[in-house]
Amino acid sequence: MADTYLLQLLLNGLVIGVIYALIAMGLSLIFGLLGIVNFAHGEFYMLGAMLSFFAVTDLHLGYWTTILAVTLVAGCVGVFFYHLFLSSLRAADFERSILLTLGISMVLQNGGIYLWTVTPRIVPTPYSYAAVTLGGMQLPVLRLFTLGIATAAFLALYLLLSHTLVGKAMRGLSQSSDAAAMVGIDHRSVARLAVIIGIALSGLAGATLAPVYSVQPTMGSAFVFKAFAIVIIGGLGNIAGAAITAIMLGILESLIGGFFPLTLADSAGFIAMIVVLLFKPEGLFGRGVRV
Amino acid sequence: MRRRPLPLPASAAGIAAIWLVLLCVPWLTASEYWLDTGIAIATFAVLSTGLNLIYGYAGLLSFAQVAFFGLGGYGAALLVTRLGWSFWLALPAAAIIATWAGLLIGYSSLRLSRHAFAIVSLSFALLCGIVARDWVALTRGSMGIPGLSLPGFDAPAHMYRLTVTVAVILLLGFHVLLSSRLGRALQAIKLNEPLAQSQGIDPLRYKLLAISVSAAASGVMGALFVFHLTIVDPSVFDFYYTETMLIMVILGGAGSFWGVIAASAVFSIVPDLLRFSSDLRLTLYGLVLVAAMLLFPGGFAGMLRQRSLLRWKTRL
Repeated sequence: MADTYLLQLLLNGLVIGVIYALIAMGLSLIFGLLGIVNFAHGEFYMLGAMLSFFAVTDLHLGYWTTILAVTLVAGCVGVFFYHLFLSSLRAADFERSILLTLGISMVLQNGGIYLWTVTPRIVPTPYSYAAVTLGGMQLPVLRLFTLGIATAAFLALYLLLSHTLVGKAMRGLSQSSDAAAMVGIDHRSVARLAVIIGIALSGLAGATLAPVYSVQPTMGSAFVFKAFAIVIIGGLGNIAGAAITAIMLGILESLIGGFFPLTLADSAGFIAMIVVLLFKPEGLFGRGVRV
Repeated sequence: MRRRPLPLPASAAGIAAIWLVLLCVPWLTASEYWLDTGIAIATFAVLSTGLNLIYGYAGLLSFAQVAFFGLGGYGAALLVTRLGWSFWLALPAAAIIATWAGLLIGYSSLRLSRHAFAIVSLSFALLCGIVARDWVALTRGSMGIPGLSLPGFDAPAHMYRLTVTVAVILLLGFHVLLSSRLGRALQAIKLNEPLAQSQGIDPLRYKLLAISVSAAASGVMGALFVFHLTIVDPSVFDFYYTETMLIMVILGGAGSFWGVIAASAVFSIVPDLLRFSSDLRLTLYGLVLVAAMLLFPGGFAGMLRQRSLLRWKTRL
């Protein structure tokens, strides 16, 4: 019995961890290439979840179609987001970039509360109550799907960064923008692609997690604060570091939450961030876009 | 580039005059609404001047001001209700608690980068709100700690005079500090950190000093504010305060002492008069912030300063 409980906690932690990873990797990618900390990142996760609620309830789209559609829409939003706001910022405009993305986050979150109120909404799917029984353990199908989708996204991002020319350009740009410009890498189009990928991953995370938990406009800020801790612990701009840290944090939180008061689980990420900053300020895995 | 600040005795006299005028307000109006607005102005003036010290002068974007404010409030409330301390002892204790929090996040993150400071300060503020809500054994969760009262200051006019007096003292302290060596050192660090360092200014030490002073002042105002409300609950850590402070500092002009104080007064009065709901108000604040960042990043005061600089240049 105790073993099942522990395994259940591990599974829940892993599911949350991979979702953290999707958000934190996008955040890290955008920071690595544009030098911008996107404070509005969590709101795209919230919008992804909200959009999937409306896609399922109003448009009657299926589970997989919804996730695919929301990810594509999020990618398109990324194009606008880059051209309207981020393209005019330079890495030296550090305050402007933070305040600008913070302002966007305020508009999206409070506009969301104004339009949709804070009442939690449930996204119905055909798999909502389905579960696989394995060795006396109940494995909800939706959580298994989440794991699968996130793993597929990790693989896709890994292949893109390590096996394609544009991935090489991204890694080069994050190492030295001058050297990248010298060999003819177009900074703007690579940066735009990074923003599109980052926002699409956030939307994907929202659409995937929406049926597992409930959906409401304030869900983004709670998540992005975990993602910040993850990005700092993993090393600013280090994508693989962010993914590993995210999964560790998800599991850690779940285990702490299973045995100790809830406050401690919520604080775990923050405490880990402060400890890492005090003893290893560059992050556990160092800096730079790496895979 | 900056206009020379007023000589200290003159502005001290000016502040003293304003203080005397403000103390007379309760004789003019018995309306509790206006006294509450006065308390809000005084509170926000200190909070946003604290943010102005960190952001406008030292160039560090801090989102933790609301955490210092709330920690001061919760600290004082808990010391008074749980340990039976007198409020007058709890008030400096609130300042010390907030200062420790400021040093913790400042020391841990500033060695990495300014980005890290912004991220850690925001995380800290969000964490404080979550802990206040979830640590029911200590804070009673969202029910809050009610029944805070200050013997001898029961009437609204008394609380108003106390808050205004403390705020004026703190603002005067900020003014003295900013026109002293500390203010000049901070500006030097903001303009060119390596150059300032080569002149023997230790940036980390000055930044931490600025954070401590600002945190202490915010903590004091937090303690006063919750005793004015007579209750402290997790909403004291609400992001609303952060956003309002940011709007005041940015539209008032980061680095402009009087600009930010004027903006504090304007933004404490106007949104209330327009009776917007809080989510609509924050949506509008967000739009204003985005527009300000895209159009005039220096704020209104910064825009005026730039315009006078331009006029000065053409005259040459």
